[in-house]
Amino acid sequence: MKNPCRSSGSALFLTLISILAITFSLCAQDVRNLPPVSRSYAITKVTVFQGPGRKLDNATVLVRDGVIAAVGQNLAVPADAVIVKGDSLYVYAGFIDGLSRVAVNKPKEETREKQKDPGNPAPEAAGITPYVDVRALLNPVEKSIEEWRSLGFTVGQVVPYGGMLPGRGALIYYNGEATDKMVLNPTAGLYSELTPAERMYPATILGVLAKWKELYRQATYAKSYGGVYAANKSGLEVPESDRILEAFYPVIDKQIPVIFKAEKSLDAQRVLALKSQLGFNLTIAELKEGWDLIPSLKSNAKIFLSLELPEEKKDDKGKVDAEKKKDEQAMFPDSVEFKALEKRRDDFIALYAGQAAAYQKAGVSFGFSTLSAKPKDVKGNLKRMIKAGLSEDAALAALTTNAAQALGVGDRLGTIDNGKIANLVISRRPYFDDKSKVVYVFIAGKLYKVNATPEKAEADKKKEKP
Amino acid sequence: MRKLFNTLSVIFVFGATTLMAQSPKGTYGTFALTNASIQTVTKGVIQQGTVIITDGKISAVGTNITPPSGATVIDCKGKWIYPGMIDGGTTLGLSEVNSDPRTRDFNEVGDVIPQIRAITAVNPNSVLIPVTRVSGVTTVIAAPVGDLMPGTAALVNLHGYTPDQMFAGFEGVVLYFPNTGRKGFLDRRTPEEIRKGVEKAMEKLNETWDMAVQYHKLDSATKNSRYYPEMQALIPVVRGERALMVEANTSKDILAAIKWVSDRKVKKVILTGVAEGWRVAADIAKAKLPVIAGPVLALPTREYDRYDKPYANAGLMRKAGVTVALRTQQTENVRNLPFNAGFAAAYGLGQEEALRAVTIVPAELFGVADKLGSIEVGKQATLFVSDGDPFETKTNILQVFIGGWQMPMVSRQTLLYDEFLKREPGAKK
Amino acid sequence: MKYMLTKALLRILIAGFTAMVITVSLYAQNTGTVLIKGGTVITVTKGTLENTDVLVRDGKIAQIGKSIAAPANSTTIDATGMFVMPGIIDAHSHAALDAINEATSPVTSEVYTGEVLNPFEIGIYRALGGGVTTIHAMHGSANAIGGECETIKLRYGVKDANALRMEGAPRTIKFALGENPTRVHGGGSNILPRTRMGVEFVIREAFAKAKEYSAAWDKYNKDKTQKGFRGAPPAYSIRLETLSEILKGNIIIHCHSYRADEIYSILKICKEYGIKRIVFQHVNEGFKVAPELAEYGAMASVFADWWAYKFEVYYSTAYNAAILTRNGVVTSINSDDGELMRHLYHEAGKTQKYGNLSDEEALSLITINPAKQLGIESRVGSLEVGKEGDIAIFKGHPLSVYAIPMITIVDGIVRFDRQKDADDMRVMIDPKEPLDAVNIETNTDLSDNCMKDAEEVFYNLFELK
Repeated sequence: MKNPCRSSGSALFLTLISILAITFSLCAQDVRNLPPVSRSYAITKVTVFQGPGRKLDNATVLVRDGVIAAVGQNLAVPADAVIVKGDSLYVYAGFIDGLSRVAVNKPKEETREKQKDPGNPAPEAAGITPYVDVRALLNPVEKSIEEWRSLGFTVGQVVPYGGMLPGRGALIYYNGEATDKMVLNPTAGLYSELTPAERMYPATILGVLAKWKELYRQATYAKSYGGVYAANKSGLEVPESDRILEAFYPVIDKQIPVIFKAEKSLDAQRVLALKSQLGFNLTIAELKEGWDLIPSLKSNAKIFLSLELPEEKKDDKGKVDAEKKKDEQAMFPDSVEFKALEKRRDDFIALYAGQAAAYQKAGVSFGFSTLSAKPKDVKGNLKRMIKAGLSEDAALAALTTNAAQALGVGDRLGTIDNGKIANLVISRRPYFDDKSKVVYVFIAGKLYKVNATPEKAEADKKKEKP
Repeated sequence: MRKLFNTLSVIFVFGATTLMAQSPKGTYGTFALTNASIQTVTKGVIQQGTVIITDGKISAVGTNITPPSGATVIDCKGKWIYPGMIDGGTTLGLSEVNSDPRTRDFNEVGDVIPQIRAITAVNPNSVLIPVTRVSGVTTVIAAPVGDLMPGTAALVNLHGYTPDQMFAGFEGVVLYFPNTGRKGFLDRRTPEEIRKGVEKAMEKLNETWDMAVQYHKLDSATKNSRYYPEMQALIPVVRGERALMVEANTSKDILAAIKWVSDRKVKKVILTGVAEGWRVAADIAKAKLPVIAGPVLALPTREYDRYDKPYANAGLMRKAGVTVALRTQQTENVRNLPFNAGFAAAYGLGQEEALRAVTIVPAELFGVADKLGSIEVGKQATLFVSDGDPFETKTNILQVFIGGWQMPMVSRQTLLYDEFLKREPGAKK
Repeated sequence: MKYMLTKALLRILIAGFTAMVITVSLYAQNTGTVLIKGGTVITVTKGTLENTDVLVRDGKIAQIGKSIAAPANSTTIDATGMFVMPGIIDAHSHAALDAINEATSPVTSEVYTGEVLNPFEIGIYRALGGGVTTIHAMHGSANAIGGECETIKLRYGVKDANALRMEGAPRTIKFALGENPTRVHGGGSNILPRTRMGVEFVIREAFAKAKEYSAAWDKYNKDKTQKGFRGAPPAYSIRLETLSEILKGNIIIHCHSYRADEIYSILKICKEYGIKRIVFQHVNEGFKVAPELAEYGAMASVFADWWAYKFEVYYSTAYNAAILTRNGVVTSINSDDGELMRHLYHEAGKTQKYGNLSDEEALSLITINPAKQLGIESRVGSLEVGKEGDIAIFKGHPLSVYAIPMITIVDGIVRFDRQKDADDMRVMIDPKEPLDAVNIETNTDLSDNCMKDAEEVFYNLFELK
């Protein structure tokens, strides 16, 4: 494989290369990371997209102590800076993922005992654990961190696994550092899904919605009484301590939003109905089928659209599977009917791909989330969205500025401006070009070199398997 | 002791009247049904006609017929006479209360069990039978249900005290052709699982058929083959003496079934179900395979199919030249066969063809057209008198004859009506 | 939408709850103007009118008469030779719902089918193809006290679930007696109830607790108005709150039931608690206690001829509707089933065969009577000026087996047109669904549509009807 650094004529320090390379090596545990020689970097002679629509040619970005020290043309390179020669490279603000489980440990599958009374299960068995803090579940060596970083993602809102109320999410750096060093915002929001429990209450979405409302209102009462009690305890019954209800308190106070996963139109509609009845701040994430919901979502929720798309129907490219063809003919003896059905399906695939463009057209701000997306598909999906009418600027905004604002870190992330956290994506060719490739990523001022594209990693994985 | 005896006798008397009330007897004799409009099915409509029933058979049909002396004359002025309706596929008599496994006798253990015979387990005393026959449905296929070859179906008349008295002269081996469709919402198999299941079932089916052919050859050569109930039950099918009733519903399965029976030169074949028959009607017609379609009152098999396809299916197949009989595939509501036919008629089959599809066509398919399916001299007196078109919802069936037996026009349902229309005591005791 | 907010607000007020309520609306309510010319108009309540026009303006029936001129921007339908009747109402359906049974607990009055409506379900269109315009989308029958139900209009084509709601329709709730709750809870989970005695007790206990709950909140809310009150609120429970609304007469009970004894025992509880509005559903043995039902003013929603699919319906009769009607019980014919729902007009016709009901009586069973049972008779269920423009147009008399529904109109908008509609009428398509998904549902799949294969593994219980 050609080394992109060499081919671009850049001569990074050998030490740097070796430091970076080992991060990804299979035998990483045998190798000690050496600290960088300096926390000051100068990325020179690059094309900088400071933000959507803010392009600066032949510029330099100075990074110092984790933040962006300066951006501009003809900047003097400080003596202590490690120089990243960026001829023909493109720099963007680090991408932000609106909903993910990157770096989050998956709970072991437990063989659940049958509940004695399925109508009154233990809350944790029923997926009701809103008090869980995702920080306790972070795993710095979880393998997908690197995959997503290689695509340019530097920060993500990560949430625990679970049922209807899995716990609190956090905003983390995709840096693979020690757990606490990964965390940017420890309490990003209360995460929730409309996911029923298995064979116990709430076993259907009917029960989930009822339980949700009931918990929220109980929390409101408990909180209110807690206030009365705190003001003057004399003569009052001691309020019960309840981790579940207490987890709702910051939501009720609107200190944090509820982050709801809602892929389907009806999920989103149901979540909106909850919000309309209870009045919490809402973030809807991983939305896939939301092209009809723009009017009702725009002022009611922060929005993260999914980067997962239904697969496009592949052309046969001359290779027609004879068996499959025969099957098809048997199921659809009327080829006109078959074509019409295919067309309707393709029309809907186009609606999925065009969702982001529709939001852009309506002037509704949105970010992206990747909870159900595979890394290898993400860039292709972005391109499909762009082909469907999403502008590159809007795509970049969704990955950077809009996401940062929706997550309440617009002042720290999303653009390449002085004083912001130095999260950068550096690619050969413009990011949305077919042949672009991310070569470096900065996270909080630390440089990561990207070795392989996720597509290639996938291909390598396949090769390994006999 | 005396007290106990009294109690017992009360129970006995009460029990006896209830029993009698629930199962009044049929009447046998010579009957003259006069002044009727007679829908013969095969020979048009006779106005102001008479049907004479003697010795269980139709001895005369026509106008200007004088009732024989001693005949019970039933004036049918303004009424119609139709041949008894035949349901080409039910589980009537094989199940009493469907949710109770102890009363379900249509689904035996095993996937190749053609030796299991419906006629051995049809319950002549099922409460469901009188409920059915007072609607003019006189004859039904009682069929086992299951995977692959769940048994042998039988044609039975809905009157008699033993299965033999009910038997109407036809048995057919049931084959559930390996099904690529999903069986309702409880079927949670993946497409791959379905495909593998079908593959496995096809292997089993082919192996079974090959064995049956071998067994037939050995049997023909030795005239004395060893006990092998499965193969012995299949010999008449291989020899073309007995029909194979092939259940296939998706277009794909129907095509596969057509190819399978053609490749193996199965001589007597009836396709059943054929929910998607309209999709491949031309293929079915070309293969010259008759079908027993239904239920007509059903939902489309695919989300994107036109809403009325199940209603239109029979008509579309008939139009393509397929021989079509109908079925309800019901147990307790086989009485709705005329309504299934009515819907098929309205949505394209037409009244005449729909009538044939529940009378003469199934009679011919089952090889009993000499006895059933039309009002003709010499046939069994299996017919009914109605006050109008029997498919029309509000039409009342007034008389039913099965094999010359005049049926009591009561069932538990009519008895409950009689008892409870004006309950005594009412709300105030 | 309005209804939902009303409902939410109601709950909030009852509980002394204050929360911000945000209006969320995806689409404005669609209504239409349509003129139906020259049909035989079966009003159901006011006779049958030959060669008559019906004008629906902005969703409401504006005029019924001869030679009505078409207003501007209206659709005109030539109904010459056709029959024009009120849209059919199904008082018992599970269509358009993403979940039916929260079968984990014998009492689940906190759940509400109105929150899980699915406007994309093809069954809605198929029902329109049978002239149906309004259905009662019910919770299933797994629990003695199931969830609240929603009365919806079949506005197929809308993408907003809320747009299906019949705004302002009264609240209703599902109860269930007999085999289903006893099989699920007693049989499945070994908890109360395992018998009909247990079912009676579960309902009685629920009402008793609701009464206490209601009293506790009343007291709290009263105390709160006193200056300096600092007490703790009673434990908040949507389950008990809904139940206390039943006791206050704000929710109509729709009680799945079969046997005469269980019907009677619930009548007694209702009497004890002063609950007046109760509709018995299925109620196959309703004919046995018809005088008692009539006396209490309880109503009955029945199958035309379903029976013997389980033991508690073995002693049934297809004459049930006729006996109930003749005894003065307001009776409807329902479907409980996506297939049966497509030909309720035919099911109603069966009462002429089984019990000689008149045309008007038979058609009342699927129009004005179910409307009464849902508390919407002032708005739908007959063709009268001022009522909502829900209309079914038939070729052939609707009680004939040969009748073919041609056009179905909801709020003045044509939602089904036999001649113009495409074959494929799906509104939302999931590209991941394989194109060749075929469903072969047969009558021998032991279907008991109230509770499909309840004895299967436990998780299947959650989809019981």
